[in-house]
Amino acid sequence: MLFHSWAFLLFFLLFYPVFLLLRRTRFKDLWLLFCSYVFYGWWNPLYLVLIAWSTMVDYTMVGLMAGSRRRGIWLSFSVVNNLALLGFFKYGGFVADNLNHFFSFAGISYALPSPDVLLPVGISFYVFQSLSYTIDFYRGRVEKEKSLVRYATFVSLFPQLVAGPVERAGNLLPQLRRRAAITREDVSDGLSLFLVGFFKKVALADYLALYVDRIYDVPEQFGGTALLFATFAFGWQIYFDFSGYTDMARGIGRMIGIRLMLNFNNPYLAKGLGDFWNRWHISLSSWFKDYLYIPLGGNRRGPVATYLNMALTMLISGLWHGAAWTFVIWGGLHALGRFATRELERTRFYRTRVPGLVKQMLVFAFVTFAWIFFRAASLDDALLIVTRIFSDGWTNPQFPVVMLLLIGFVWIYQFAMESRYRPLLRVTPVRIGLAVGMILFLALFSSGSSQPFIYFQF
Amino acid sequence: MHHRHQDRATRFSSNEVRLSSREWLGLMLVFMVLAALARPIWNGIEVFQPSPDYRIPYDSSEDYWPFERACREAADSNKTFVVGDSFIWGQYVSREETLSHYLNQGTGSEQFVNAGLDGAHPLALEGLLKHYCKALQDTEVILHLNLLWLSSSQADLQVGRGGRLNHPNLLPQIRPTIPGYEASVSERLGILAARHLPVLEWSRHVQSRYFDNADLQRWTLDHPYLNPLHQITPTLPPLESPLRGGAQPWSAEGRTQQRLPWVEIDTSLQWRGFQRLVATLQERGNRVFVLVGPLNEHMLESTSRAVYRGILGRVEYWLEDEGLAHFLPPVLPSELYADMSHPLAGGYALLAQDLLERMPS
Repeated sequence: MLFHSWAFLLFFLLFYPVFLLLRRTRFKDLWLLFCSYVFYGWWNPLYLVLIAWSTMVDYTMVGLMAGSRRRGIWLSFSVVNNLALLGFFKYGGFVADNLNHFFSFAGISYALPSPDVLLPVGISFYVFQSLSYTIDFYRGRVEKEKSLVRYATFVSLFPQLVAGPVERAGNLLPQLRRRAAITREDVSDGLSLFLVGFFKKVALADYLALYVDRIYDVPEQFGGTALLFATFAFGWQIYFDFSGYTDMARGIGRMIGIRLMLNFNNPYLAKGLGDFWNRWHISLSSWFKDYLYIPLGGNRRGPVATYLNMALTMLISGLWHGAAWTFVIWGGLHALGRFATRELERTRFYRTRVPGLVKQMLVFAFVTFAWIFFRAASLDDALLIVTRIFSDGWTNPQFPVVMLLLIGFVWIYQFAMESRYRPLLRVTPVRIGLAVGMILFLALFSSGSSQPFIYFQF
Repeated sequence: MHHRHQDRATRFSSNEVRLSSREWLGLMLVFMVLAALARPIWNGIEVFQPSPDYRIPYDSSEDYWPFERACREAADSNKTFVVGDSFIWGQYVSREETLSHYLNQGTGSEQFVNAGLDGAHPLALEGLLKHYCKALQDTEVILHLNLLWLSSSQADLQVGRGGRLNHPNLLPQIRPTIPGYEASVSERLGILAARHLPVLEWSRHVQSRYFDNADLQRWTLDHPYLNPLHQITPTLPPLESPLRGGAQPWSAEGRTQQRLPWVEIDTSLQWRGFQRLVATLQERGNRVFVLVGPLNEHMLESTSRAVYRGILGRVEYWLEDEGLAHFLPPVLPSELYADMSHPLAGGYALLAQDLLERMPS
């Protein structure tokens, strides 16, 4: 069920009044859980088996940890179980394909059968969320959740279930334990967030997708200029798509009295790759930082170990996004980018003499370049696109001016947001004018077809 | 770590579009008023002056806004609506060679309005007249029944066709169930919403009519450097419908006789849709005259023709039983058909002549 679909509107219209009635009763969590399972089961009821299994195992492991001195064993069981789920459903085919290539290369006449299973929507998100609870409990950072229903609600909470933000038990469980006090401000803030997210997805991301798909589906038919513009457009498409989802999720969260974490903070204004990852998919990058980078040693063991830890974290982050070598390369590129900007930021010249705008443009250009490997259907396509962008001469890209104007407007808005002109954006006519503009654009010019979110595939 | 997470959780957003509850209420009220006024305001702005033999442009068959306006005008001037699929629209002929044209010519008037819509099978016609032609009350309606829609379980929508259906927006979305219509719940809800929110229908009309039968977004891909606002003019863009295929007799095209897997009339969804359509029109006080066929029986293989005649007999029995004025014209000469169901200009002229003799004055 997509947020920007009529089915979701009906679902929410049925869910919300009952939730408001039950919000101060002990049935609140049960209703939230039931509706979250309906929401998730809408894609495929079989998915519910997996999420219920993951929930039950982690709830049980934490229960066992609470009464045991050998907590590490139960934590290991939780980690292995979650990673096995992810490994089988997400990476089974990738591993089998690569092993078969190796067998073929080595002259071994044996081929592993590829596990032909459907990737359950959002598995990467809820597995990480559930895992963070068991690890945080092991570290003594969160209390044991006594209620299975509440814990299951934490894992499956529908606004953020399928594409994040990847919430932490420390933020979400206490909010679920409280009786939801929903103010008028919560509802209006929720609507404001939802509107912006809806606009980003339907008016911007889906629009850009038309141009991007046309070119990236058959890159061999296009010249370097069109491929360059399509890459530029994809950079914005994926931002609008994913941050639009997050805005809608946070908006729905607000309306039910739950504050989900900020997941995107104008990432294309970042002045370094480290800064970019503090602004892009914040919940995931902080997850990797807290549960992988720091446990590996972080930056405490000298520069070589720091860069190794950084590289490993980025490569795994790349693989988290998709089971293909293009994603690993994408992660590797970001690791290199982080090394470079980290070293540059150590120099006085870069810190003090290079204008912020130049740094922002450099980071944007690098991130956009890396998106080629993220979006391309195969490594061959990615290499073809890179080659053509850097070798072909200028040709007419047929890039719609309306598209360019919309991107330009958003970019200028974001620059203003982080400048001394920010108070101007808070002025009533500006806020209302923007809301009216978005609603009018959506009502009059959206295509009416619901495209799935890019991050659902992860 | 927890402090940092708390901060991220409490930050509103990375933008400043944050409206108060009062502002939201005000905004919703304004948009509700605008949504309610969209149709009358736009109808006042957009010039719609159909010429005598006007027919809905072929490429805009799924934009029901002009149909609704044509219906309203016909009802206001007490004209006779000639309703049907591409048979009435005139698939292979110009608009001066259609059935309604020859009916007008025969009566020396402009009494008959071509309300044919390409691909409008009986289930779609039911939705069209039910939702987009409410103004049609207490008038004369000639309703054409094209039995070719019963010629297979796919055409009858008993099973899926594997491709896009004709006029999904006109089909019943919840009840009765149509097995051949496999839309998602969201699509169905969206269609139901558009039927009750004129602003959505209006948006579809503007996009379809002014942006080359696409939407603004797709239009800009094909015209990347043009200003879309310049496309919107007060006068409807002229979309003269081109002739479809060559206007040649079917036999000259090298077509051969066919055996069609007719469905049982008792289980036919299209037939039930047609029956409900008649009932709807009658409930609105319309005087319905049913024209059945004439299908090109020359193109039917003998066993198939026999089954078809059986169905025709059942249809006639029902029409008589219901006391409906009707006409089952004889088969036209073979050379006056372009294909299995569409006549050529001469066929329409002949049919109009017969029809005028049979119709109640």
